Amino acid sequence: MASIIINGQEHTLPEGEKLNAIQAATRYGVDIPYYCWHPSLSVVANCRMCEIEVGSKDPKTGEIKMVPKLVPGCQTPAKDGTVLVTDSPKVHEHQRMVMEYLLANHPLDCPVCDQAGECGLQDYSFEHGQANHRYVEERTVNPRKDVSDLIQLNQDRCIMCTRCVRFTREITQTGELQVRNRGHHAEIDIFRDHPLDNPLAGNVVDLCPVGALLDKDFLHSQRVWFLSKHDSVCTRCSTGCNISAEENRGALWRFKPRFNPHVNDYWICDVGRYSYKAANDAALLSACYLRTAGDLGPAAIDKVLIEVGRSLASIAGAGGKTIGILSPFLTVEEAYLAASYLKGLNPANVLALGQVPVEGEDWSVKPDSTTGRTGDTSFIIPRPFTIHAERCPNRLGVSAVLEHFEDGLIDFASASARVAAGEFDGLYFASDAIDPWTDEAAAKALRAGVKYLVVQDTNVTPLAQLADAVIAGATFAEKAGCYVNADGRLQYSEAALAPRDGSLPDLDVFAILLGRDPAPIRSRDVLAELAGVIPVFAVAKDGRLPVFGAPIEGAEGVGMGGVPFQDAWAQHRGAKSSGN
Amino acid sequence: MADFEPVLSRNWNVPDSHTLPVYESRGGYQSARKALTTMDPDKVVALVKESELRGRGGAGFPCGLKWSFLPKDRKETFMCINADESEPATFNNRLLMERDPHQLIEGIILGCFATKASTAYLYIRYEYINAYRILEKAVAEARAAGFLGKDILGSGFNLEIYVHRGAGAYICGEETGLIESLEGKRGWPRIKPPFPAIEGAFRKPTVVNNVETLCCVPHIVERGADWFKSIGTPKSYGPKLYCISGHVNKQVCVELPLGVTARELIEVHGGGVWKGRKAKLVVPGGISMGFLTADELDTKLDFEDIRKPGCLGLGTAAVTVMDDHTSIVDYLYNTTRFFAHESCGQCTPCREGCAWIYKTMKRIKGGGGRLVDLDIMLQLASNMGMMPGTTICGLADGASWPIRNAMAKLRPELEDYINTHQEGVRQITPLQEAIFAGQLAEPNLISISLPILNKV
Ligand SMILES: Cc1cc2nc3c(=O)[nH]c(=O)nc-3n(C[C@H](O)[C@H](O)[C@H](O)COP(=O)(O)O)c2cc1C
Ligand code: SF4
Ligand code: SF4
Repeated sequence: MASIIINGQEHTLPEGEKLNAIQAATRYGVDIPYYCWHPSLSVVANCRMCEIEVGSKDPKTGEIKMVPKLVPGCQTPAKDGTVLVTDSPKVHEHQRMVMEYLLANHPLDCPVCDQAGECGLQDYSFEHGQANHRYVEERTVNPRKDVSDLIQLNQDRCIMCTRCVRFTREITQTGELQVRNRGHHAEIDIFRDHPLDNPLAGNVVDLCPVGALLDKDFLHSQRVWFLSKHDSVCTRCSTGCNISAEENRGALWRFKPRFNPHVNDYWICDVGRYSYKAANDAALLSACYLRTAGDLGPAAIDKVLIEVGRSLASIAGAGGKTIGILSPFLTVEEAYLAASYLKGLNPANVLALGQVPVEGEDWSVKPDSTTGRTGDTSFIIPRPFTIHAERCPNRLGVSAVLEHFEDGLIDFASASARVAAGEFDGLYFASDAIDPWTDEAAAKALRAGVKYLVVQDTNVTPLAQLADAVIAGATFAEKAGCYVNADGRLQYSEAALAPRDGSLPDLDVFAILLGRDPAPIRSRDVLAELAGVIPVFAVAKDGRLPVFGAPIEGAEGVGMGGVPFQDAWAQHRGAKSSGN
Repeated sequence: MADFEPVLSRNWNVPDSHTLPVYESRGGYQSARKALTTMDPDKVVALVKESELRGRGGAGFPCGLKWSFLPKDRKETFMCINADESEPATFNNRLLMERDPHQLIEGIILGCFATKASTAYLYIRYEYINAYRILEKAVAEARAAGFLGKDILGSGFNLEIYVHRGAGAYICGEETGLIESLEGKRGWPRIKPPFPAIEGAFRKPTVVNNVETLCCVPHIVERGADWFKSIGTPKSYGPKLYCISGHVNKQVCVELPLGVTARELIEVHGGGVWKGRKAKLVVPGGISMGFLTADELDTKLDFEDIRKPGCLGLGTAAVTVMDDHTSIVDYLYNTTRFFAHESCGQCTPCREGCAWIYKTMKRIKGGGGRLVDLDIMLQLASNMGMMPGTTICGLADGASWPIRNAMAKLRPELEDYINTHQEGVRQITPLQEAIFAGQLAEPNLISISLPILNKV
């Protein structure tokens, strides 16, 4: 078995993985500070922060030979017999030196810098730097600029790690960013008239270890230590990127990517990144409504639910059928409870899939380690990234639930046709779609086909205007539950916001309609239940999923696994969010 | 010594030496003919190895050894010829290219034949427009005459030479910076390993050789390794082009056996120090290598002896002489400015360190120096470079060496300068001093609103 010696301690190396010294050391709880290294970008070893003492142990004699000079950890493979010393005075002295250099021309404007609180310079200065400032020369001040309409570059704070440049060359392969000028005048810049506007551009802000690249959308809006982070899944397309949804005072402030090697690697797309705004929309449905004497008026949620339950039961009692149209924005748990409820009322009730919004075509990047990269690329696992044209999170998940209750999947078009043809007495339309469905003609046709219409949604839509009962459901940020992404991976998404006033999360709505114990229902319990009932979801047997999610039955696992990763400075060092 | 016969520069003063007919009339392309028709590539490598030819580009790495690092099972090899000659005061490659381009082409043919490279990129510095034109013409001539192209001299060996003009930066002379630049990227040196011999230009095994190194090869093939080793000093064999510049009566480039002393170079070949003065500093091989002082002039300028008085190496053997009217402060100011300007900006210690040292030198020169600045500069210089392992390339070592040498050899002069040159406006402010000393800035210092920066 291959082993590595870190600060005198011997550890067994994981098999089948190619790690560098930084990665290997982290596995065993030893932090090696770094800036320019990133697990998904080529190794360039230019920040020189991760330098350590490296040696090797002779397998026969057991003798340890050290390299006489410092070596960057990012560039050092963790092999059998590798010896790493990360805590010697020599290493500490070097780290102090690099910190002193990096701060020499730094503006030290932390009080007005967005990065403060999650900044590599702050954290490492505190841990590895020194308090006094020997640099008495005039500072080199490189100019600030915009690199796109959404991203600002405070060049004076840049530490020239080139993560951003490598991202645009190696991951998106669009190459908008470059370094210009030499030495201490070196700057990151765009080429004239070619802004940084690729679909993944926002990731450079996350990659930047300091406050140089900043998201103008977030600029000066929050101090990051006030944000509570929630491990969520983006619902803007069926990729299902793992995100951290960051909340303060009842509003979302930003989405940040979370690493998932099977899904989104370290990235999210800009459309997903800014989709958080939909959860803060002041125009969201903020009350439930009932139609009395022809007029739709606000009503208390419990009253609405009693009324809906009564009406649908009486349709069933009279031998009539109700159709449930469940949108692909619902979680697996919600779809399961909704289906159980409607089928429980009358086994002849019909379930159909709601509208699946599609926009444009799939867009992919495939990092190719043979082009574009010149630093050491041997540690990288190239992973493609796709933005799907299918702009909803859970078509596969909701479909799988529906297929369990219904032979053959009924899509939205045929469901609409059957409703319009007057086949049903009742329609339960559960949506929660991010973009309000505005097709008035189609809404009228649906309305005309049924006697009783329930709309459960987050937005005021033409169909809601025509409904007999309107239930204000949860936005993506307000609900917890699982989604199945385009590759068939079942992933859990935490709620980031409390239910907004006047609304009730969909899971509770269905639980109440089902007559379950009114205590708050937990998505985990529902997941455990449905995993036992629907074999496709058997992976979630006890209601728990691995950090990176798991493929549902019949789906192939995509991509090689990995261990969770977050840059040291981005890690939440205070209280962990409630999480799993 | 007397019977030393220059070979590298033997055609320089022949009229039209840059043309093929003249070169051939003086025995040109005979080595190429000999190697391609009677030797196999490994034999050429073995011969060069045996001659112990060391690279003339600066590092002095054994050329044959470098060639033998190429992987045995390689499919394609590239040769890069380093003609980026940007080391200050160095001009031997330029003369080699302008005066005798066919000698270089023959060297390239032999080098490529030995390393089985069928593509050679001659990376020439942008400013060498004249050499570039001459080389383009020479390459065309050689191709027309069948020395380049397909099936050269019926040997089945193919070779194309592309002359590539750089875009102007010192760092593009560093071999991996050169490769990046050649690939159309910014000339930022790469980390090693992988070394170019394993993965170089366009991700293929690549050899990078200096112009002068390759120019030695035809002569080794022609006259044999023993001849080569009969010239020079142990471990530093062969002829070398020394450039002499600075405060001498005659600025020249002369070909001499390796190991000539600095004194002989100045007195015999440079016509002595100008204006009848004495030499104070002698830079042995471009400013990256540090310097010799007046009492070290008997040092042999070869790859080994030059280290004894603390120089970094022989470098390019471009000897710059400074007379005793030169201030060490001016000298350091110039060198540090050069390196602050030329640091590519990649490695933190080099990018920030070179600029820091330069700014400090500027302040000292202007009359705001402190004695403690010398310690700081020495400490910064001692910790940057490939030797302490803190940078990617050797530019930082070169930047630090003049500082290290100056502190070791001429510190009293620097101290004296600082003590006698104090100008109020150039000095640092009390507030800076307080911050420097790690003290909290005194409230009364702030209330009288002292500037944090000196605007000069
Ligand atoms: C900063 C720096 C600049 C360099 N500039 C040159 C140069 O201009 N010309 C050159 O031949 N070698 C230069 N070198 C040396 C090359 O890296 C390399 O060692 C050389 O081209 C190898 O050729 P050789 O083995 O034939 O000497 C430079 C090295 C460094 C670190
Ligand atoms: S802008 Fe940020 S990511 Fe880009 S080089 Fe500078 S510090 Fe690194
Ligand atoms: S040592 Fe200096 S010149 Fe060389 S790669 Fe690093 S920053 Fe660039």
